[in-house]
Amino acid sequence: MTFSSIRVARSVALPLTLIVVWQLLGTAMGNPRTPVPTRIAAAALQLTASGDLPLAIVQSLGRVFAGFMIAAAIAVPLGLAMGSSRAIERNVDPLVESFRPIAAIAILPLAILWLGTGTPAAMLIVAYAAFFPIVVNTIAGAKRVSPTLLRAAATMGLDHIQTIRTVIVPSALPAIGVGLRIAMGVAWTAIVAAELAVGAKAGGGGSGGIGQMMFVFYAYSIELNRIVVCMIAVGLVALVLDHVLRAGLRSLMPWVSQ
Amino acid sequence: MTESAVKLRLDSIGKRFDAGGTVAVQDFTLDVARGEFLVIVGPSGCGKTTILNLLAGLESPTSGTASLDGKRIGGPGPERGVMFQDYALFPWHTVLGNVEFGLRHGPAGNGLDAAAREQRVRKTIDLVGLKGAEHKYPHQLSGGMRQRVALARLVANEPDVLLMDEPLAALDAQTRIILQDELLRIWGQDRPPAERRTVVFITHAIDEAVFLADRVAVMTSHPGRLKAVIDVPLRRPRGDATRADPQSQALCQHIWSLIRDEAYRATVA
Repeated sequence: MTFSSIRVARSVALPLTLIVVWQLLGTAMGNPRTPVPTRIAAAALQLTASGDLPLAIVQSLGRVFAGFMIAAAIAVPLGLAMGSSRAIERNVDPLVESFRPIAAIAILPLAILWLGTGTPAAMLIVAYAAFFPIVVNTIAGAKRVSPTLLRAAATMGLDHIQTIRTVIVPSALPAIGVGLRIAMGVAWTAIVAAELAVGAKAGGGGSGGIGQMMFVFYAYSIELNRIVVCMIAVGLVALVLDHVLRAGLRSLMPWVSQ
Repeated sequence: MTESAVKLRLDSIGKRFDAGGTVAVQDFTLDVARGEFLVIVGPSGCGKTTILNLLAGLESPTSGTASLDGKRIGGPGPERGVMFQDYALFPWHTVLGNVEFGLRHGPAGNGLDAAAREQRVRKTIDLVGLKGAEHKYPHQLSGGMRQRVALARLVANEPDVLLMDEPLAALDAQTRIILQDELLRIWGQDRPPAERRTVVFITHAIDEAVFLADRVAVMTSHPGRLKAVIDVPLRRPRGDATRADPQSQALCQHIWSLIRDEAYRATVA
């Protein structure tokens, strides 16, 4: 056995053992509802084949993208303005910082009362959750611009707006990218929570999405295996989202050496 | 020098960095004529860069006035191009993007269409020997290459006044000689004096100062003052014959004698 294959074997040994123990213990309990790996795999195949799981993921992703875009569209310009003007920062920062500790899920009651239990409420929660990581990182990025580069731009006669566009924005881009990645993770977490809660209010009605799906399996049909399938799907989707976003950011910033 | 011939004027300039702190420059008075190539030499820490920043409008004097064409300098402007000691290249732009930056985003490109802009950028890149490196990013270049990019960016903008802070310091000896010749050409040594640009150039290298300059301003440190202004009456256009000219070597010796004591003291201390 080569060195690298020993390492691979080591890193999968513990998870594999746990899965086998889980399978044995779960089967030994004798309750057919108890989630065990084989039942989960069967449930996953079934939910995928029926198209229910892919549809729920697409519905959730649609809301995440919409909410994420709204957050970015507000947070990036605001962060740039706050990071490049001390006056704006002094005025806006206290407002941002006083909302930041209020968790996205805590605005859910208001969101439902104002916007109902459909997509708009879920989008609002996602946008709210994604806003803060983006704005905070954008501010930091805009502040990190090199003073020499600002001087160079000034000696070439660039005005304030041109300088923001051609010097401050590209300087802040790596930090904005970090903010977007964190925000995407937070947004995805928030959508599942929001859909679970919205689903509860709607009584399992047709708002859709992966969170809603979990709610139905939990509250109505009590299918633990399917709930675990949803959990795993949520994790995998988050992983894929981050990889896609990272690749996109990398191609946008070829000058940043990895 | 007649009033109309004065391009840049530094009048009793004093510069202190923090209230009551170190004096960077004291009682500095110097006129630079339109079309003149002025070189400033002096030991490290003598305030050479401060003088350049004052002319660029990036800093303002604590006392005295700096003026351009008779008007007080209140800030930077595109008619005064600056080449910074640390190059100040935009890391997110390739060589091409850096060289065309001022033409694309600043007033230097006004009246140039895309084709004319591209042509000037290509020409400048060829001039400084960066052909083949157009699509590299600054972090992929050596120090000498970066310095050429900074030089090309300045030259492409064709500013009226060129303010250059040790622009050739990171180059190897051969490249340096070639670019000294190019620089004189860009400045306009083949044209009549009325059509030349105005250059203020900082260097550590005395031979470089003598080769390039109409006049060499020698500074002394702590505080930074003007010690002497030496005329360099070597014939133009200058070239390899100038470097070998005994008169040029005598001038180098003279300037060295002016800063030698201080340079030794700074080195030993």
